Amino acid sequence: MATIRLYMTISLDGYVTGPRDDAENPLGIGGFRLFNWLDLRNDPGPSGQVYAEGTATRAVIAGRRTFELAGRWNGDHHDGVPILVLTHDVPDEPPPGSAHYLTDVRECAAQARAAAGEGDVLVHGAGAAQALLRAGELDELELNVVPVLLGQGRRLFDGLPAERVELELVRRLVTEDAAPAQRVMHLRYRVLSRGRSGPPAGTP
Amino acid sequence: MTAVVLDMSISVDGFVAGPDDGPEHGLGIGGEVLHAWLADGDGDPSSYRPADEAGALVFDEGLATGAVITGRHTFEYAGRWGGDHHDGVPVFVLTRTVPDEPAPGHARYVTDLAACVAQAKAAAGDRNVLLHGATAAQALLRAGLVDEVALHVVPVLLGAGRRLFDDLPPDHVELDLVRVLDGPDVQHLHYRVRREG
Repeated sequence: MATIRLYMTISLDGYVTGPRDDAENPLGIGGFRLFNWLDLRNDPGPSGQVYAEGTATRAVIAGRRTFELAGRWNGDHHDGVPILVLTHDVPDEPPPGSAHYLTDVRECAAQARAAAGEGDVLVHGAGAAQALLRAGELDELELNVVPVLLGQGRRLFDGLPAERVELELVRRLVTEDAAPAQRVMHLRYRVLSRGRSGPPAGTP
Repeated sequence: MTAVVLDMSISVDGFVAGPDDGPEHGLGIGGEVLHAWLADGDGDPSSYRPADEAGALVFDEGLATGAVITGRHTFEYAGRWGGDHHDGVPVFVLTRTVPDEPAPGHARYVTDLAACVAQAKAAAGDRNVLLHGATAAQALLRAGLVDEVALHVVPVLLGAGRRLFDDLPPDHVELDLVRVLDGPDVQHLHYRVRREG
């Protein structure tokens, strides 16, 4: 079954944007600092590998906010794969290109797995990540941890229930040769279980 | 050169304690998992030394420091360490209000941040200063007084609790990752704060 994997870049203090992110400044003040590592996305090495894996996924799940702030990716995130957009309210206007709106997170996860087939599903955005975590539908996290404290901004892990989710570190890639501004640590975690007595999530 | 080393166990989602931490329950609800990489101990700090190589190394580094800076919460929640964090080195407890009762053992209360760090460094001599506790960490980070950050990252999401990095100004602090060590169910990350120029 397809793996639903979150791909997010975060500061060491856990932010995915700087403060005051909005439509005009989607990464918030100073948030561009987080994405210097993408300068190396087409190079051989860890960052190129992680980027290539992300763009080899066969379906995308994003939250509505991320979708809008990203200019809806003009309807094509990569290779025309389906983009499933989680939203509370489905707008009247249909989304562009290969995007679809969904309101139910489990339905969204099921459709994404079906669409991805033998491939994997890329999840993007803090809101979608939190919704999938709460629903126990997130299988893995690929966290690109940038060695900077932003101090303020939008957190990746926020508004979650006080429920323990066990993880397992399955891979760590460190860019040792990169220039300081482009250094990043790529950590891949597998979700093992959630809740103290809840059922295991993401079992194959 | 004496470095102030922030040393904390932390979940992947950034918590150093679960919800409802307090004097009776220093790590909050479910927070014990963050210290599982330490040995059980029996009241003697040196007996918390982990059996694995990486854990033992970072543990020994913490106990090789020559002074401790902590916040009042952490101090109280840890039972004041019985007045001796390790080897009788001075423990500087940052607090807004100095209680009437003097601090036990090798601990002392301090209200002035800069003086606290200066005294701790002087006391440590050529050894490092161990910084422990979220509130004290934030106070020193705000003042630019942290030199190194040693995080023991436990592969778990707690969902809620006390965050290590909170209530900070939007000033970027650049770090260099200088060492990564793996223990059983914990990753020891050591960062050095990069200074301008």
